[in-house]
Amino acid sequence: MNAATLHPLARDYLKRLKKATAILPRGRRNELLAEIESHLNEALPAGASEAEALNVLERLGEPADIVAEAGPGQTPAARAGLNEWLAISLLLAGGFLFVVGWFVGVVLLWSSRIWTLRDKLIGTLVLPGGLATSAFLFFFVGSSTGSSGDGGCPATRVGSHGVKAVNASNQCVSSGVDVNYPFLAFGGLLVVLPILSAIYLGRRATRAEVTA
Amino acid sequence: MQRIVDQGTLSQLRRGVIEYCVLALLRDGERYGFELVRTLSEVPGMVTSEGTLYPLLSRLRRAGVVETSWRESPSGPPRRYYQLTTSGRAVLEAFSGEWASFRDAVDHFLEQEKAA
Repeated sequence: MNAATLHPLARDYLKRLKKATAILPRGRRNELLAEIESHLNEALPAGASEAEALNVLERLGEPADIVAEAGPGQTPAARAGLNEWLAISLLLAGGFLFVVGWFVGVVLLWSSRIWTLRDKLIGTLVLPGGLATSAFLFFFVGSSTGSSGDGGCPATRVGSHGVKAVNASNQCVSSGVDVNYPFLAFGGLLVVLPILSAIYLGRRATRAEVTA
Repeated sequence: MQRIVDQGTLSQLRRGVIEYCVLALLRDGERYGFELVRTLSEVPGMVTSEGTLYPLLSRLRRAGVVETSWRESPSGPPRRYYQLTTSGRAVLEAFSGEWASFRDAVDHFLEQEKAA
């Protein structure tokens, strides 16, 4: 395994192979480098001529071809790493971190090579701000309809006038519930959409990992 | 018709069967990488670049059809030996049967074409 005893051309070849294999997962890279190095050791006796060395290297093939065989068209960035999972988490919940978190998520999403343009558009547009937007809309819209409801029902506050007042407040509550059905559906959708989007990104990320 | 029978078709075919050739070479016992690679490339038209066989060996190992062990070499550093696993042997047997009927079917049409 001593590279120093190898023919200079073979040593040069190993150097190029080392560079070309930098994109492979570490274990696979080390295995490949060790195998090629022992191939060179077996094929080239000590004191081999330059012509012999050239022949052996030519039969071995270009480093780029070997790497292409080792990882079918995939770069290491195609494996879901910390950045990808961080991106998904931040897109989902980063909006709660002073809103900035979500923007960091977007930057991570677009700088990753694992997702396609379509994935990135979905990740960004469903929904901008993630769950924080859902929560904001839910509570903001919710509280504003709630307060207008209260405003429309003075009877609940003036409730000391007996039966009539109770009836009035019941009407108010029931009409409030009627208004809330579409609102609840809308709110639920707001919560579900970013979660679905995160699940989608996660599956796309791990699918790419399998093919790598 | 002539368009599809190009280098691409042949290299696809070769890619598809070469791993079974590796398994077949290991049927009678273990061999080390260089030995396997040289035996395969000695047959003309089978291997275009010897280096690409090593990733293939690694894939076979990860797929569990071969396993490796290091042995001292009479000369030089230790060698990584490859040998069939039980599942590798089963895969090889299954392919041998499939291949025989596939080869006969292709031959059948090619010979007919020639006779006509």
